[in-house]
Amino acid sequence: MNKPFKPKITLFHCINSFNESASLSLNGANNVEIKTVRLPCSSMVKDVFLLRSFESGADGVLVLVCPEDQCRYVEGSIRAKKRVGWVQNVLDEIGLDGRRLSIRNTSSGNGATTDKILQETVAVLTDLGPNPAA
Amino acid sequence: MKMEHMSKLEQILSRGEFAVTTECGPPRGADSEVVIKKGETLRGYVDAVNVTDNQTAIVRMSSISACTHLLNIGLEPVMQMVTRDRNRIALQSDILGAYSLGIRNILCLSGDHQIFGSQPDALNVFDIDSMNLIRTVKTMRDEGKDMSGFDLKEPPKMYIGAAANPFADPFEYRVIRLAKKIDAGTDFIQTQCVYNMERFTEWMRLAREEGLTEKVQILAGVTPLKSVGMARYMSKKVAGIDIPEAITKRMGEVPKEKAIDEGIKICLETIAQLRDIKGVSGVHIMAIEWEEKVGEIVESAGLLPRPL
Amino acid sequence: MIVGEQKPLAEIKEIVGPYRKLLILGCGTCVKTCFAGGEDEVATLASALRLIFKKEGQNIKIEEFTIERQCENEFIQEASEAIGRNDSVLSLACGAGVQAIARRFAKIPVLPGVNTTFIGVLESQGVFTEECSGCGNCELAIFGGVCPITRCSKKLLNGPCGGSRHGICEVSPDTECAWQLIIERLEALGQVHNLRCYISPKDWSSSNSGGPRRLVREDHII
Repeated sequence: MNKPFKPKITLFHCINSFNESASLSLNGANNVEIKTVRLPCSSMVKDVFLLRSFESGADGVLVLVCPEDQCRYVEGSIRAKKRVGWVQNVLDEIGLDGRRLSIRNTSSGNGATTDKILQETVAVLTDLGPNPAA
Repeated sequence: MKMEHMSKLEQILSRGEFAVTTECGPPRGADSEVVIKKGETLRGYVDAVNVTDNQTAIVRMSSISACTHLLNIGLEPVMQMVTRDRNRIALQSDILGAYSLGIRNILCLSGDHQIFGSQPDALNVFDIDSMNLIRTVKTMRDEGKDMSGFDLKEPPKMYIGAAANPFADPFEYRVIRLAKKIDAGTDFIQTQCVYNMERFTEWMRLAREEGLTEKVQILAGVTPLKSVGMARYMSKKVAGIDIPEAITKRMGEVPKEKAIDEGIKICLETIAQLRDIKGVSGVHIMAIEWEEKVGEIVESAGLLPRPL
Repeated sequence: MIVGEQKPLAEIKEIVGPYRKLLILGCGTCVKTCFAGGEDEVATLASALRLIFKKEGQNIKIEEFTIERQCENEFIQEASEAIGRNDSVLSLACGAGVQAIARRFAKIPVLPGVNTTFIGVLESQGVFTEECSGCGNCELAIFGGVCPITRCSKKLLNGPCGGSRHGICEVSPDTECAWQLIIERLEALGQVHNLRCYISPKDWSSSNSGGPRRLVREDHII
């Protein structure tokens, strides 16, 4: 019997959009393995960091950013969104499927929303299966 | 001293008679019969026939050869020549060749951009522009020299035409451009099709004010509309065409089966108005792939018989 | 600056296919500014290629290196060790850079990873426009500082064609009519009389029509 697929997710998040300690249920989830990367602003997710996550074995990458109008650095969330869009295309070209990478807006302390996003991401990845380049 | 006439078109215009020219698009194939058939339907109705040069950047039989087919059946061609596809060496060579075949009128154009054609992947040339081409033909004719200054043994004596678009932007510049074309050596002008009479009248007024109508023969372009759809398409999609809403409305208000008649009616009204404008020396009827209607239009406009 | 655009990943993959040890070589000058071939683009491309090859089970080693300018020997030198370690170089420089590298290393294939597009300016963040064709004989003085050879789709020297509408070129809604710009500029400068001048056919012998060009500065040759 094959073990059930437990997706590995690299989570990039803005320290303002998401508070790890406030979202305890995250680590409690047993159907997912999460690595988190904290960023002072989500606009710091460079293309190469997202790609390298997949090189390091992630099945999916999730970027959590502040709502567009609440970025402390004004346009950080918009920049992050554009970059993610670009890298999604690169993933499609590679044949990894751009849906392995997603970006969602959250605000700090909203653990319930974050859990929901995470489970949605798990559902997408379960559908896509393991990273074929891992 | 007046030199002898270069062409029938020149002769008619120089006598002050109202000239009528039209257009014949060569086929997308090598069949001379297509040209001859089109030519036959025009016989007796027009003074000269423009032969387009790969118009809209679609490969067709060359203008020179289609002109020659028309010459062979006794019609007078106006060879259109665009600077899009040939460099100055090829252009001059073809002018000499065309003259040797008996072609006596030339219309100098820059040409539609290849992006609109069937082969947008082509390299465009534009070694010289239409203004430079006018000057080149003029120098070849009047000074007997090619662009390098070489003395030509038998200079091509061609009647030189150019295009003008009174409806393109920027409007204020359009008359300056006309003046430049005249200075470069244009003998006659054929305009973009006139639908916006108000704007055309204003352009003509400015041309008269600058004394340009004394220096050049202006043939106003007309194109009969076939349907309200054609009016809308041309107005929106064809750059440099200006069809006022009132005309589109008129085309739309008649029943579909009457649209052709309405289009011809508008065309005839336009011709009548053009004849009354001081400085307009003739009309150029561009019935796109509709050459068989030209005779009817010329006849109904009361422009028959054509002078010999 | 020279503006370029990275080739599609599928094409790059095809080009580098036959090699086992690939150096992706960036250039830190023009192509860096237009996000085509600087250090960041080298890293991203390297990562993307590694993912492709891993996915396909191919074993191709990729090394990354970026020098200040690929069109000058002084900088090329810095890359010589890295180049020597690999069996191919994918250059993310403009076409000049690719050739400059190829000329130095006779036995290593130097492959282009960027399509060199034009000489242009950064019009606004992320938008580059072509402004110069390098014709070798600049006539911007009479055209009010707007080049019709580059910016008019038909290279018209004597005014706009019939396809200029509301300041836009008929060729594309994204292209401004160069002649509209020239006219406006000359009006602002009080030089509209320039519009009436007949501009003679251009002498293209100084452009690349005259064959590849060479510029010699005797005073700099020791």
